[in-house]
Amino acid sequence: MTDQIPCHLRERDDIVLRILQLSVNFPVGKQTVQAVTNVSFDVARGETLGLVGESGCGKSTVGRAIMQLPAPSAGHVFFNGQDMTDLAGEALRQTRTGLQMIFQDPISSLNPRRRVRDIVAEGLTIWGRENADTRVEEVMAAVGLDAASAGDRRPHQFSGGQCQRICIARSLALDPDVLICDEPVSALDVSVQAQILNLLEDMKARYHLTMVFIAHNLAVVKNISDRVAVMYLGKLCEIGNTGSLYARPAHPYTRALLASIPDADPLAREQASIDGEPLLQGELPSPADPPSGCRFRTRCPYAQARCAEEIPQMQLVADDHYVACHFPILEPQAVR
Amino acid sequence: MTDDRLNSQSVLRVEDLTIRLNSGAGTVHAVEAVSFALARGQTLGVVGESGSGKSVMARSLMGLLPRRAMAYKAGKVVFQADPAPAQDLMQMPEKQLRHLRGPAMAMIFQDPMTALNPVLRLSVQLTESLRQHLGMDRQQARRRAIDLLAAVGIPDAGRRIDQFPHQLSGGMRQRVVIAIALACNPSLLIADEPTTALDVTVQKQILDLLARLQREHQMAMILITHDLGVVASRADHIAVMYAGRIVEHAPAKTLFSAMKHPYTEALFNSIPRINDPSHTRLQAIPGRPPQLVEPASGCAFAPRCQYAQARCLEQTPPIVTVPGTNDHKHACFFPVSAAPGQESVDD
Amino acid sequence: MLNKLADNGVVRSRAQGFSAAARQVFGRGFGPGFWIAAGWLLLVALCAAFADWLPVRDPLDPVIANRLNGPLTTNILGADGLGRDILARLVHGSRVSVVIALTAVSIGMVVGGTLGILAGYFRGHFERGLMAVLDVILAFPWLVLLLALVAFIGQSLMAISVAIGFLWIPAYARVARANTLSVVQREYVLAARAMGASTLRILLREVLPNVILPVLAYGLVAMGLVIIVESALAFLGLSVEAPQPTWGGMISEGKRHLATAVHVALVPSVTMFLTVLSLNYVGDRLRSRFDVRESNL
Ligand SMILES: Nc1ncnc2c1ncn2[C@@H]1O[C@H](COP(=O)(O)OP(=O)(O)OP(=O)(O)O)[C@@H](O)[C@H]1O
Ligand SMILES: Nc1ncnc2c1ncn2[C@@H]1O[C@H](COP(=O)(O)OP(=O)(O)O)[C@@H](O)[C@H]1O
Ligand code: SF4
Ligand code: SF4
Ligand SMILES: [Mg+2]
Ligand SMILES: [Mg+2]
Repeated sequence: MTDQIPCHLRERDDIVLRILQLSVNFPVGKQTVQAVTNVSFDVARGETLGLVGESGCGKSTVGRAIMQLPAPSAGHVFFNGQDMTDLAGEALRQTRTGLQMIFQDPISSLNPRRRVRDIVAEGLTIWGRENADTRVEEVMAAVGLDAASAGDRRPHQFSGGQCQRICIARSLALDPDVLICDEPVSALDVSVQAQILNLLEDMKARYHLTMVFIAHNLAVVKNISDRVAVMYLGKLCEIGNTGSLYARPAHPYTRALLASIPDADPLAREQASIDGEPLLQGELPSPADPPSGCRFRTRCPYAQARCAEEIPQMQLVADDHYVACHFPILEPQAVR
Repeated sequence: MTDDRLNSQSVLRVEDLTIRLNSGAGTVHAVEAVSFALARGQTLGVVGESGSGKSVMARSLMGLLPRRAMAYKAGKVVFQADPAPAQDLMQMPEKQLRHLRGPAMAMIFQDPMTALNPVLRLSVQLTESLRQHLGMDRQQARRRAIDLLAAVGIPDAGRRIDQFPHQLSGGMRQRVVIAIALACNPSLLIADEPTTALDVTVQKQILDLLARLQREHQMAMILITHDLGVVASRADHIAVMYAGRIVEHAPAKTLFSAMKHPYTEALFNSIPRINDPSHTRLQAIPGRPPQLVEPASGCAFAPRCQYAQARCLEQTPPIVTVPGTNDHKHACFFPVSAAPGQESVDD
Repeated sequence: MLNKLADNGVVRSRAQGFSAAARQVFGRGFGPGFWIAAGWLLLVALCAAFADWLPVRDPLDPVIANRLNGPLTTNILGADGLGRDILARLVHGSRVSVVIALTAVSIGMVVGGTLGILAGYFRGHFERGLMAVLDVILAFPWLVLLLALVAFIGQSLMAISVAIGFLWIPAYARVARANTLSVVQREYVLAARAMGASTLRILLREVLPNVILPVLAYGLVAMGLVIIVESALAFLGLSVEAPQPTWGGMISEGKRHLATAVHVALVPSVTMFLTVLSLNYVGDRLRSRFDVRESNL
């Protein structure tokens, strides 16, 4: 089963990152938490893939497994054709610099005892790059910080939004190909969130980045992504280009998620088609003991006997839009 | 006219509430001259960014701010729950206030993980106020507690009631917190970011639950949040807070169709919309919210406001009513959609 | 325009950041008690460092005539059972206390701290093994262990310092490990690994600076305890050998004269009490100061 290539992986030359049947298990006491199970996706050069799902569904775990921090329990991570799970030691350290991460809590992502300049220069110092000072000044200016006045201060003298700018500058210093953003705006105020989202778009264009953008806010993900993947309890439910996925969500879980969003514009809300979607019932099952067959079946309003027996596989429902459900909802929907 | 009618029915009337707190860096002007009224069965949504003073305001209404932290307070908080006469909570001694918390007014906090005592069973936490305020005996209180849990949508309430908080998920814990708050049928419920720590699907469940319970009990509710979306469809009136002040206050529909304050507009425009196509450029608000320590004079939004003029830096804009309405108020010299440069009429 | 305004934000916050940081580190909040305690500790440290040059009498010179004289008579703080000057003995005795406290705590801090950081960072078998060994050491009655150590390595100043220092290893290992565990969870450690930092670099740059301050603050409190342990040894006659004066030794000698001349035991007792109290107080205040800074971050 592991050798079978899922149909939603694309045959293209410009695939920068390909995740194949990735699984991550954590031993917790006598049990095993199946945080991520058989997740596959790919990201093409210059693309942004959004990864959404509720808390605890394994989004961060996927992000970290890509970086091999820690290495996944099973599966492969191909970065520019190189399988990172085959690498170890020096080779892994070397390759990993092509991928960088930004985290949710900008404050705990910065060492409180170090100066901002040193934090941003860290990668350059480790690898003994030349012209480190120039590079630091350049990336700091790019994210909207003044290296001269900000460089000698310590992180606690900055607000959350500014700390997130520092984190972005640090991740850009080594000129990575791929930026993995793990909920980079979740801890920020709405007014600052827009600044950071715009900044990420600018940086992506300026430094030719490929991004994996993890978040639980569907509107934020839609704004920044070209393609979106939806996760539930460690599994991928649906993946597709943003337009199609938001306009015609086919997986019952995606529909429930979309129907739950409170829309800031009450006038626009009246035309939302998905409002009739039944509310999610029940509790998220434990990832240590996930339901058989489809993991969503315990809360799915459309579940049938087959859902308990057979694990749904990805199938094509529209152009570049795939869903893992036995009974996807395919009626055309009003465009959201 | 409407104002008078509102006032006569008001459960809560806040007038010029001002709260300043001591902090390590100086005096924090957390709430400045806040006024509003709230009628029975109505919901007031309070929206604002982190640090805008929402929680301090909410806590001061309940008299829950630590006395030691208080540097200065002024204003009136007139509370009237029929049939009792109206009373000013700001003047009320702590002992008397304590009798109001629970049966008359209750509060729900942001973090369901810390709002419950981890070492006590739910039964103990649920029956406490029932026995204290309503004088029920153990059996009665327990039966009522089980009913309450069932009413907030906890399956198998009879078994759950003997569990500890850590055995519940975040959403269930918030339901329990709501059940505790509603145990004595308060006439005013203050919900301080009740869903911020929860996922969207759970958030919807909790908000629906609050709306249902509010309808059933004819409670007045103050729903505090930083998410315009949460209050858009759930509140009758919306108050937008910035730097400790209410900068705009209007019926929900009016606020969205005819927003007057530049901050409301900027906040609204900075939110990514689910209906917009991908890569729509967001209209970010430059800079960041001000510190509330010893604020400078003038409009607090001026450094970030695209309409700001010299006057905004010198004078603090008073709160005024939009001409032709009686319940749409804002605090701005140059409100949105007035012709450029033209000042609002009645300032 | 956006940049200009954002920069204003930076400047404003910098001014506030500086003054707030300054207020946190100095003055405000420490209060007079802290400075009095710190002053006392400084005095003790100076006495220890410059005992030989201070204008006090010879601590070893018995002047029979002054035997058991009270304070403010022939001697400022009185004289002991052999007629030796108590002030001089206190000053010279502080040397032993300070040297033992510093050495023992340093040994505990370096060895225990290193083990704790490694255990907290690497986890796994190493952590489990180390913790098991430390638990065994902690389970021993410390006095018995100390007696055994002293009997084994001797009664010199260094030997006693090392013995007491050994006893402190488990406590430091625990403090360091707990702090390391919480630091390692922080995402800046993950970010450093993503950048390709070596393990040694992460330990030195990311972990150590964040673990060392709480450990140092704990060290002050520990010094107070070391001074007490030394006096307990002296009571049993197992500390540094006579005639070298030590505070513990003075108290122990004074107990013979409790009925007739209380001051012989009381004066060193009070001195020691004040010193230990000051160490605890200063250590505690510093520690809470670091915590505040952490939570403010
Ligand atoms: N006990 C206190 N002592 C001193 N200052 C306080 C205290 N509580 C709050 N403040 C300050 O008062 C201001 C308003 O805080 P408040 O908690 O009301 O904000 P908020 O709008 O609820 O923000 P959030 O969305 O983060 O909950 C802040 O500057 C805060 O630092
Ligand atoms: N180090 C770990 N040890 C044990 N369980 C873990 C660990 N990290 C994550 N998990 C579990 O894996 C699941 C997915 O977690 P995570 O990837 O952090 O979710 P998300 O980022 O989507 O909120 C959760 O059930 C979580 O408790
Ligand atoms: S496979 Fe069945 S249970 Fe799973 S989402 Fe589809 S219909 Fe629901
Ligand atoms: S008063 Fe001036 S600065 Fe303040 S919001 Fe209105 S226009 Fe902007
Ligand atoms: Mg996460
Ligand atoms: Mg708050």
